[in-house]
Amino acid sequence: MPIESQISEYLHQEAETMECPPAVSKRIEQSYSQYVQRQRSKKTMKKRLIGGIVAAVIMIPTAAFAAPPLIEMITRTPMTAQQVKMDAVGQAALEKLYRSYPETKSFEIIDASQIGGDPANTSQGKAIQTSIVLQEKGAHGKKVRLDLNGITGEIEQVNQENWEPQEKPVISLTDQEIKSKVDDLINKLYGSSSKYECNMEPMQNPDQKTFILNYTEKGSTTPFYQAFVQGNTISISLIGGGPAPSVEGFFMTNGKPDYTADAFLNDEELFSLLHMSPADLKQELAKGASVVEIAASKKISKQQVMDVIASTQAKKQIQADPHGGATDDDRTLELLKRILEPKVLKVIEHKTETPW
Amino acid sequence: MQSESMYHVLTKMIEGDQQAFHTLYDATYKDVYRTVSFLVDHPQDREDIMNEIYMQMWTSLPNYDPNRPFHFWLHGLVIRQVQRFRVKSWRRFRIFERIRVFSREEYHWDQPTLRTDRTDPEISRAMHKLTDKQRTVIILRFYHDYTLEEIVTLLDIPLGTVKSRYHAGLQSLRKQLGNLPLERMEKNNAY
Repeated sequence: MPIESQISEYLHQEAETMECPPAVSKRIEQSYSQYVQRQRSKKTMKKRLIGGIVAAVIMIPTAAFAAPPLIEMITRTPMTAQQVKMDAVGQAALEKLYRSYPETKSFEIIDASQIGGDPANTSQGKAIQTSIVLQEKGAHGKKVRLDLNGITGEIEQVNQENWEPQEKPVISLTDQEIKSKVDDLINKLYGSSSKYECNMEPMQNPDQKTFILNYTEKGSTTPFYQAFVQGNTISISLIGGGPAPSVEGFFMTNGKPDYTADAFLNDEELFSLLHMSPADLKQELAKGASVVEIAASKKISKQQVMDVIASTQAKKQIQADPHGGATDDDRTLELLKRILEPKVLKVIEHKTETPW
Repeated sequence: MQSESMYHVLTKMIEGDQQAFHTLYDATYKDVYRTVSFLVDHPQDREDIMNEIYMQMWTSLPNYDPNRPFHFWLHGLVIRQVQRFRVKSWRRFRIFERIRVFSREEYHWDQPTLRTDRTDPEISRAMHKLTDKQRTVIILRFYHDYTLEEIVTLLDIPLGTVKSRYHAGLQSLRKQLGNLPLERMEKNNAY
């Protein structure tokens, strides 16, 4: 037999004896799930958070327009890297970032945008939110996204991606290590994490391991910061800062009070629109009806409910502006209401014990 | 499976369809695993490379032209990931284990006895004496039946280089398989 056919025969026979270990298939399947999750979170972070049970995005009491993806439903105005550096809020945030993480100085600004205002003409009014995405050069470089309150300059949300080596993503570290990474990020970008009590729990997400870390002030039940750790991403939202709501935990998730919607539903205007006390509303919601359904039984339309809540939230947002005045006009109010609507809709259509 | 339907499945998979993922995985994993196993000896390395290949598969869909055979594209991915891995491990060797580079040859010697029970141990040993580059060409030619021109495209190297690796590989195999009449002929001619 010529050597060519001998080799060919050998290779095909040998191939038959090679079995792909099941562990390999399992690992690839997991990688695929992670990929799908990442893709979805890129398109609408909504999905990822639904997967993660709790939607931190819609927790926006006083000042936190924490949710870039929902806000993306409203038109964003793209900004150039130059405009970011000219923008007072952007500039301050970048300086803070560079000081805290000196390596980010060499990162490229790969994306930036703002809502409201006009980056090319600052006299057109201020932006409500400015978002900046920086990335290390190279295909899988470190990435950081900052969402800034355009009015107060506060960092509302920060996303830190790929800061650990790909083979050993942040989620694979020990609980203690994960917590210290999150602490570090809070300390450097927000202020001190030490005065908050941290509660870390795994989320019941079958597709992908996820941790949620709630940083709560002593005596308070509502978290001040909330962090999600998933894959190689840490995502922190600023939630707190407002007065404690009168009734807490309108909804339940896994049998635990869910504070997600509280800031929206603790609204005097809403209670008077529905002719209900907060306790009654909580009781009705506990039966599994949504706010919209409760309103409908009283012949109140979804739009009315939405208007009331969105307008309260928009006013709160404007009041949070320490400089006041300049933004307190109908145009800004309307714009804020429009931005808030999708979030409000989510809250008022939500039912207790269902995933967000 | 035809390239076109593969492409369809691939597109669905990109959208996050678990079913599509399983269809595509089941249709390809054996071939991919075997190819990788021929080219890479260490089981842990194979596992890492398999994972990389599939991750690459769903991220590089935009580069796939549905008019071209799916398996050819897939084998391109396989080859590139194996090569990437080799570059990486080469760096690792250089930095941390410069002295042990030579022990790799001995490692190859041990392998065939471990995993070959049914097939010809002599050819197996001979295959493992090939350099990585020669082995890649031999596997593509004799396991996947690619023409030398196709191998040129897959490896992205000149035809002359493919030919010389091919001939050097065959020569080495002949030399190892000492009992072949062809080998003696070759030896007589060559030396």
